[in-house]
Amino acid sequence: MSPTTQGMLVLIVTLIMLLSGAPVAFGLGAISIIFIAIFQGWSALHVVAETFYAGLNDFTLVSIPMFVMMGAAIGSSPAGKDLYEALDRWLYRLPGGLVISNLGACALFAALTGSSPACCAAIGKMGIPEMRRRGYPDDVATGSICAGGTLGILIPPSITFILYGIATETSIGRLFLAGVMPGLMLTGLFMLWTLFIIWKRGFRAHAPEFRYTWKEKFHSIPKIAPFLAIIVGVMYVLYGGVATPSEAAGVGAALCVVMAVLIYRMWKPRDWWKILSDTTRESVMILMIIAAAVLFGYMLTSLYLTQTLAQAIADMHPNRWVLMGLINVFLLVCGFFIPPAAIILMTAPILYPIIKAAGFDPVWFGVILTINMEIGLIHPPVGLNIYIVKSIAPDVPVTRIMWGTIPYVVCMMLAIVILCVFPEIATWLPDKLMGKAR
Amino acid sequence: MQTFVRVVRSLSQFFGYIAAGLIGLGVLVVCHMVFVRYALGHNTIWQTDFVTYSLVAATFIGSPYVLMTRGHVNVDVLPLYAGPRVRFWLAMFAGSVTLAFALVLAVLTFLFWKQAWDNSWVSDTMWRARLWIPYASMPIGLTVLALQCLSDLIELASGREKPFGMEAGRL
Repeated sequence: MSPTTQGMLVLIVTLIMLLSGAPVAFGLGAISIIFIAIFQGWSALHVVAETFYAGLNDFTLVSIPMFVMMGAAIGSSPAGKDLYEALDRWLYRLPGGLVISNLGACALFAALTGSSPACCAAIGKMGIPEMRRRGYPDDVATGSICAGGTLGILIPPSITFILYGIATETSIGRLFLAGVMPGLMLTGLFMLWTLFIIWKRGFRAHAPEFRYTWKEKFHSIPKIAPFLAIIVGVMYVLYGGVATPSEAAGVGAALCVVMAVLIYRMWKPRDWWKILSDTTRESVMILMIIAAAVLFGYMLTSLYLTQTLAQAIADMHPNRWVLMGLINVFLLVCGFFIPPAAIILMTAPILYPIIKAAGFDPVWFGVILTINMEIGLIHPPVGLNIYIVKSIAPDVPVTRIMWGTIPYVVCMMLAIVILCVFPEIATWLPDKLMGKAR
Repeated sequence: MQTFVRVVRSLSQFFGYIAAGLIGLGVLVVCHMVFVRYALGHNTIWQTDFVTYSLVAATFIGSPYVLMTRGHVNVDVLPLYAGPRVRFWLAMFAGSVTLAFALVLAVLTFLFWKQAWDNSWVSDTMWRARLWIPYASMPIGLTVLALQCLSDLIELASGREKPFGMEAGRL
């Protein structure tokens, strides 16, 4: 059987397996074992255990549970509520101030937790009822939170960037820095769109009946500031080259847990178990996918499927921007169905040599890929954030939430176009602070 | 059957505690490593290996707990839109794939562990850790994962568990 036929067979079986609803990690692992056994014989299976183990035996991967724990400690605490309150009390007098507070809180909470669902749930719980109470349209209230939540995987520290960095051996510190400006740009685009749409619909009220004293305005800041300081500290040691991502994340996780205990008095065993169980669930899920993706990658490489695909694309001599367009469409379609972690781990090793050969900056591509993954989080049919928001506002029909997210999908596509035209938006900060990539 | 399901769930929960403990321990050891390396200026020998092995072990040992709590992500588009009958058979298929994978990998990792045990393999780092110890987490975790999967399939077949945990007409 030719590698092309084998490749088609692997693709079809993988799609069937994933669409059946089997856990991604076990589905990928099962496919890998089946194809290794079929095409290389039973004797080749002796490498499976070693490859699966080797996929996890890497100190860089330690940063994943550590960053997850940082997010879990903050996500389990009322920090999201305090952050939201603080921003609302400072911005309530601005027209559309509540929307700016919500999206700003999402961006900051994204920096604190690195998790889109956590960000969406934490800010949405306060933001959506409050926006609806103050008369904002349902689709704007829910759509803006869905979109704001996606910033969790773009604004550093981001698990998505860590996975991409590990899969392509790209500097994680550089990727984190590259996410800052596009993250701010996307937040700005979301805010602009939201302000425009509420202005267009004639919504002018910005809660004139609310008045906050200076004491109230400063009330939540001392609780939030230590967490923000930890994140800034972690980022500093990361890109300053003072410590490795795993070391920075480990100390950051410990400090976040200590702060959650001290500030929010989370010392009950129940609180600790919430942090630890959330960390275990997310970390084990991601690490299992990593191990399975490494095995899957081994299977693809040993059957010469990756090489055949890369060669076929190289032989076509496509225009590099046509290629980038096709890759974006491919990622977008994948993002509609498959969770970000799985897409990155499955596709990054295949796409990386292609984009390198086409002369694209892998750090810049990491940002583009992440924005594509963000779209998948708020786009039907999967759109995880849509269902999180639906659980917060059960009386809003899911179709209304979906329609509310569409303009933000357009904002993200616009961000991708802007980044293609001005790649420096992503690459300037890492180049400035860490020097040009070699 | 109910006793089997209860015992397996307790076992998965217990393994979940162990995995959480290993991750927590990993955080503490990383802090210790940072202190020793940057504050005291000493070399670190065992910490890097220990943390890596802990997290590998946490992944395998914690996997049954994560399966029990539906933490392993899947693509649920088809189950979401399918009717109850198709959804049931999809869940049976997904469960069977997981069970088969866990069983095959448990056997393969056991053989790998046995090689490490028989040949007294040690790590090629300065710590010279005996590798049968971290390797043992693989067959142990995967065996319990297979049991948890079998228990889920029993619950599904008996109708006590909904396919993919979805209520009818979730949309």
